Amino acid sequence: MRYEIRIEGHLSETLANAFPELEHVVMSGQTVLFGTVIDEAHLYGLLTRCQSLGLHVMEMRQIPE
Amino acid sequence: MRSVSTPYGRARAPTDAGTDPSGDPYLRTRFALPSRPATFLRRQRLVSHLDQALSTPLTLVNGSAGAGKTLLTADWAAGLRLPVAWLTVEAGDHRPGVFWAYVFESLRVCGARAADAAGARAADAAGAPADSSGVGRSLLASLAAELNARDGPVVLVLDEYDRVAVPEVAEQLEFVLRHSGQGLRLVLVTRTEPLLPLHRFRAADELTEIRGAELSFTPEEAGALLRLHGLHLPEPAASALVDRTRGWAAGLRLSALAARESTDPERYLKEFEADHSTVADFLLAEVLKGRTEETQDLLLRVSVLDRFCPDLADALTLRADAERLLAGLHRENAFIERLGHSWYRLHPLFREILRAHLRERLPGAEAELHLRAARWLRRSGFLPETLAHGAAGGDFDLAAGALVDDLAIGQLFTGLHSDALAQLFAGMGPEAGSPASDLVRAAGALARCDLDHGLDRLRRAREQLSETDDSPGPVAARLSCTLLEALAARLTGCTPRAEQAAATAEELRRDLPDHLLDEHPELTALLMTHVGSARLWEGRFDDARAVLRRAAGAPGGSATVLPRVESMGHLALLDYLNGWLGRAERRALAAVAEAERAGLPRPPGAGLGRLVLAAVAVDRQELGLARVLLEETARLPAREHDPVPTAGRAMTVSRLLLDDGETDAAAEAVEPTVSTAVASPWAESQAAVVRSAACLTDGRPDEAVRLLQGVGGDQPVCAVEAAGIQVAAGRPRAAAELLDAVRSEGRTGPAVSVGAALVRARVAQESGDTITARRLVARALLDARRERLRRPFLQAGGWIEPLLAAAPLHELAEGWLPSGRRQTHGEPVQPVADPALLVPVELSGRERDVLQRLARMMSAEEIAADLYVSVNTVKTHLKSAYRKLAVNRRSDAVRRARDLGLL
Repeated sequence: MRYEIRIEGHLSETLANAFPELEHVVMSGQTVLFGTVIDEAHLYGLLTRCQSLGLHVMEMRQIPE
Repeated sequence: MRSVSTPYGRARAPTDAGTDPSGDPYLRTRFALPSRPATFLRRQRLVSHLDQALSTPLTLVNGSAGAGKTLLTADWAAGLRLPVAWLTVEAGDHRPGVFWAYVFESLRVCGARAADAAGARAADAAGAPADSSGVGRSLLASLAAELNARDGPVVLVLDEYDRVAVPEVAEQLEFVLRHSGQGLRLVLVTRTEPLLPLHRFRAADELTEIRGAELSFTPEEAGALLRLHGLHLPEPAASALVDRTRGWAAGLRLSALAARESTDPERYLKEFEADHSTVADFLLAEVLKGRTEETQDLLLRVSVLDRFCPDLADALTLRADAERLLAGLHRENAFIERLGHSWYRLHPLFREILRAHLRERLPGAEAELHLRAARWLRRSGFLPETLAHGAAGGDFDLAAGALVDDLAIGQLFTGLHSDALAQLFAGMGPEAGSPASDLVRAAGALARCDLDHGLDRLRRAREQLSETDDSPGPVAARLSCTLLEALAARLTGCTPRAEQAAATAEELRRDLPDHLLDEHPELTALLMTHVGSARLWEGRFDDARAVLRRAAGAPGGSATVLPRVESMGHLALLDYLNGWLGRAERRALAAVAEAERAGLPRPPGAGLGRLVLAAVAVDRQELGLARVLLEETARLPAREHDPVPTAGRAMTVSRLLLDDGETDAAAEAVEPTVSTAVASPWAESQAAVVRSAACLTDGRPDEAVRLLQGVGGDQPVCAVEAAGIQVAAGRPRAAAELLDAVRSEGRTGPAVSVGAALVRARVAQESGDTITARRLVARALLDARRERLRRPFLQAGGWIEPLLAAAPLHELAEGWLPSGRRQTHGEPVQPVADPALLVPVELSGRERDVLQRLARMMSAEEIAADLYVSVNTVKTHLKSAYRKLAVNRRSDAVRRARDLGLL
């Protein structure tokens, strides 16, 4: 399943590397992380990672394959 | 070895109440209220809200990383006059047993709970969890009862509770909270919503909640915070900054630090407001940029560590400037928090971001940093941390070596960390080839009861070790090897191998420093338990008792609770096998209680204790109780290959089946399921007696007698039962010979004397000497009454009943020996005494045929031949006849049928 996670603010390259399994694109005051999520555990893990890095998640949704 | 000042407060005495069940000292900093930095801003509105926590059972301080939850709660708690137990939860605490062990300890540290509370034994940290996998409900109930009985409440703060993600712990917390009444105020400080049923607490007005929005700084508060950092901003600027950071404490603090370094802080903050970068990410990079190259390097490298001191940081940077740099960083309150003494940690939020920077700036360095840390930690004696970093760095030889050299290999079998250690070493690949690695592999396989792999690894380790010299390292490895040898010997029923291991261990111990052995009492206790189990298997009861007693009395508190409980279970079995019912029961109960006190959720040793209780219940003919106990033990995971408990179970189950009249099932249950190197005389004798008794009941006395070959006087309890079968089969001389051969030597208990007296009484009775018979039965009754030993009387057969029914024996049996199946010759018939008599019995023609032949002492085979039917058909008729006559055995059936005039 593919997901995208919208994060408030422009993420630095350094911090984007904390999500090596996802691609990212910066746009209009947000950073969109997107890519394949293996399972639920991975999904919650990504959310926890955002939280532990102090990132503010605006939106998280599944996108069509 | 360098001496290091640590905040861990390592108590070296293993019996110290402050050691956790694995023998590792608690990390004192986890129970300390975090100190507030000089730049901490007390916000009265939040403190006032938190004061409501004192009137609700549950309080939730819920907010994102860096929202200021911990400092707020610590500041509030520091001002309370109540006892405050503080626990900073760590990632390893997600196992319920570990979590609760730390909670118990935090309550003890703050003085809310005496070390010997809840009626537990004093001093050795009793009444606390000792197994990582879980904690028994009875232990939690006793904690709740203890809190409920308090005059005033104790405040328990669980900081970073989000690290506990298992629903089980939330459930257990709610249970304790519900049953603690006014005695407990629980404060959860967490990033994520806990799994407790908050809606229920909310509806009942039992919840104080401080959430993210409330934690956010107002513009006034932000202005005050910045002033503490030496920045004076006009109101609109502070307001804009609050908008940009959403009032986030960490964001405000970082922007203060970053702005302070620029020439024009106000303009710097304006630019930051206009910027679109993520707050923490950007600000941290900014603050980092302002540090010297050395400081940046230091911060990045220590991000692999939970805690560090200057010396450890130097080991990672390979420089010698950490002390100065850390003092400076702490002074300006950037990134690091001081834990006390000279230990520090990175703020959790910054640590994560710094790690991301580390990976970018020094790609691939992480593993090496972990290994440098592991080597330093090993040198300095921090075993758990060494193992974690060794594994994280991928050097399992290093981790296994540290575990083995420290004599801590027993921790793979017992204590709080056994699960965590097993998981840690599960990642070990084939490249780890040191003897220590093979020992750890062998221990893991043996703990999982994977005998084949365990023995194979153990052999490899032994071969490697025999090639090394005698320096202390290999000595520790060899001693670890003897522990595994003893376990392997126990599991394969090979006593000589166990003795060899014990002797080698005794020699090796002399070459090791005492403090090492004292720190790991579980090693010795486990070794002794295994040796004792092997000796018990071989039937060397006195030798087994000597070593098991030492193991049962082993020091070390909860570090040795598992081997202690196992040894007590073995001792109970030993008493039972010697015929001491009451003693066996007391010991078994002590074993079960000890396991419950330690909260062991599924203790293998307590399983043996319950088995003995079941065996005692069978001898007392409390068959319902025996069934319940056996079902309980069936639910406990048994070591499949462990011969002693397996044989004990087979013995108890088969005797119960026998008394239920299930002779075929009894004979089947007693078949050995474990193949062993050495035969066990008691297990074989018990099995022979059960098989023989089953044959006798089925009406095959000759076969029954034949099966008794090999049952001798060296097994008194079995010999006495065998003699009983001989008499019943009409061979009083053989019975007398067996009884004469019994070597009692004062070590056998009432089960032997009672059984022997009854056999002699029957011989006397059948030879017409009623006076002697009565005298002997009277003696047996007196001996048996104290122990409530009923089986020998109730299963004795018809001959005894007239004796028991008449004075003076009637008085001796009164009150404890039910007269349900006894005849009432010589006394007025009491209808209730034998309800079966009230129901008219009608036997089928075939059933009567079979019974008539049975009365002529024909075996089932002979009857089958005589009637031209199969043996199974005969058995079917017999069973049906037994049921109709409400009896369980041949002699009773014949007697009852005669009484009823059916024959």
